[in-house]
Amino acid sequence: MPERLSGILPSVLSVLLALAVCWGLIALTLAPDTAANAYLQMLWGGIGNWPSYLEGAAATVLTRPLGESGMKAALLTLTGLSVAVAFKVGLFNIGAQGQMILGALAAALVGAHLSLPAVLHVPAALLAAALAGAAWAGLAALLKLYRGVHEVISTIMLNWVAVSLVDNWLVIGPLRGVAEGGQSITGTAEIQATAALPRLLGDVSRLNLGFLLALFLAVAVWVWLQRTRSGFETRAVGLGAEAARTAGIPVARRTGLAMALAGALAGLAGAVLVLGTERRYPGTLGAPYGFDGIAIALIGNNHPLGAAVAALFFGVLRAGGTRMQLLGVHQTFPELIQGLALLFVAGRMVWLALLRRRTAATPAPANAAPPTEAPRA
Amino acid sequence: MLEVLHALLFSTLDAAPALVFAALGAVLSERAGVVSVGVEGMMRVGAFCAAVAALVMPTPLAILMGMLAGAALAAIHGFLTIRWRSDQVVSGIALNLVALAGGTFLLESLYGPNGTPPIQQLSRWDVPGLSSVPVLGALSGHSAATYLALALPFAFQFLLARTPLGLRLRAVGDKPHAVATLGLSVAGLRWGAVLGGGLLAGLGGAVLSTAVLDRFEQHTPAGLGFMALAAMVFGRWTPVGAFLAALFFAFGNALRIGLVSSAPGLLELIPQGMLLALPYVLTLTLLTLQGQRSSAPAALGTPYEQESR
Repeated sequence: MPERLSGILPSVLSVLLALAVCWGLIALTLAPDTAANAYLQMLWGGIGNWPSYLEGAAATVLTRPLGESGMKAALLTLTGLSVAVAFKVGLFNIGAQGQMILGALAAALVGAHLSLPAVLHVPAALLAAALAGAAWAGLAALLKLYRGVHEVISTIMLNWVAVSLVDNWLVIGPLRGVAEGGQSITGTAEIQATAALPRLLGDVSRLNLGFLLALFLAVAVWVWLQRTRSGFETRAVGLGAEAARTAGIPVARRTGLAMALAGALAGLAGAVLVLGTERRYPGTLGAPYGFDGIAIALIGNNHPLGAAVAALFFGVLRAGGTRMQLLGVHQTFPELIQGLALLFVAGRMVWLALLRRRTAATPAPANAAPPTEAPRA
Repeated sequence: MLEVLHALLFSTLDAAPALVFAALGAVLSERAGVVSVGVEGMMRVGAFCAAVAALVMPTPLAILMGMLAGAALAAIHGFLTIRWRSDQVVSGIALNLVALAGGTFLLESLYGPNGTPPIQQLSRWDVPGLSSVPVLGALSGHSAATYLALALPFAFQFLLARTPLGLRLRAVGDKPHAVATLGLSVAGLRWGAVLGGGLLAGLGGAVLSTAVLDRFEQHTPAGLGFMALAAMVFGRWTPVGAFLAALFFAFGNALRIGLVSSAPGLLELIPQGMLLALPYVLTLTLLTLQGQRSSAPAALGTPYEQESR
């Protein structure tokens, strides 16, 4: 089996299996024909209701769902990239959630309290978010490099520190916004119009510049990893730190910078959420996008473009989830599909063993176990 | 003053068992070398199954169902990480995500958004003669779960430190090849530890919905599994250490809730969010100070391969 195929096939099969299992779950707990109906609603809610458009409905039946999908996909792409970049250097970034919270808060503050022309305001808010996320991730990297603290434990702890300090104190306390009438509101003050990410299609959907930013960054990260010296060195560290050190690669610097980049990407996810749709730091982020990033990165086989594809797919499902609500299926149902897909992807070895048995008739190559870039936790 | 202390101790002991059991489960699994990030998911599944089972059967039996549910999730973890040597953190995170979304789906489609109907709570026991003693009286009037949580850590510590089985469990987490050299099964020992950890985490969740609350709520256990991990790290991967850390965190929580209701003025000075962050900040600080001398099992997170050295 070609190496590229053995990278992609387990992910595709896992997603299909997850879709099938979840179908069965709805059929068992609700009613058999509800399952088909719910999946159809999810599809129309994600890619737009094409049947009714072809029957003459307004174009908004397409643009609104597609906008929601693009918005969700942008967030998932960014957190997925964050986790994937950390994997490449051999670290498991469970802290994307905390880094995203810090990024969202930084973007909300810069967006609300600085007065700048739009050409400067948006980049300033994005930069602040990236720096905040990078700082939060950098903390974990420093602990790892200088004190040997395992990043899985430290990023889990940093997540909860971020949730406690931001959601349970700053946003409901010192940084709470005040509405025009004088009564306080949920979340921070609204950002100024100059800091909002421009909508791509005007008022017909919430699709905004964040979507293009996420896709651009996916390509940029891929080019960086594949085509530049520092990207190559980063991957070398991830494949074997000792060998990389022997080859003269500055292991500590590559590790620290990759983790900071991971944090910056997660921070940007927070900025896209705040500047693109929420317009303020809401009471909570609404969904565990940071943990979703782990699923997206691994379903995308730790490849930046793979993560983007996985994010687009699950962005469509997640946006469609709200339509399933009409049939008594909770709107977080697509998250279950995503979680199961991750679980099945975790069994990559099982898939490869099954696939190898299928192809056993043909002469097997000498190195039967294909090199996987699984992280060393 | 004594009354305040009494009330604080009472609510600490009332709420602590869930955290203690989950932390012990994490210790058991990790001492055998298998990372247990999935403890939150196992708690959630245990809490859900116990709450649903308690609607149709006596509560103690329902708790057993919760434990089995936790072990079932742990079995998936074991299948992926021991049998197929998958990444232990990935598997744990996946189980958390599945338990989170799956629990919400089942709860909403079976019972609606307000959680399961209320169930019969675990009965409370009075220790004769103790309830009238000041402060110590806080030990009386809890459910069986509390008394089990007070005894189990010491039994577990004895097992781990003083028995052949305990030595093997520790060895399989520190140097699995040595265990294999003695002709013992690395996979078998790890399976036992992972399933036992699942039973304990499931028990923690079950206790949460049958003794602390009286139902399964949408957000149960709301991060308690991660706090159990913090207690495990804080207790240096020992049962009694994790138990003391869990008690300490539970006491901090009781203090915080007590402050909210009795002295809101104090919370103006020390915001609740800071108090909530405290267990995690303390754990991070401890790890920073310990540095490389951290007491984590040496082979933690490394899948066992016979040929590797």
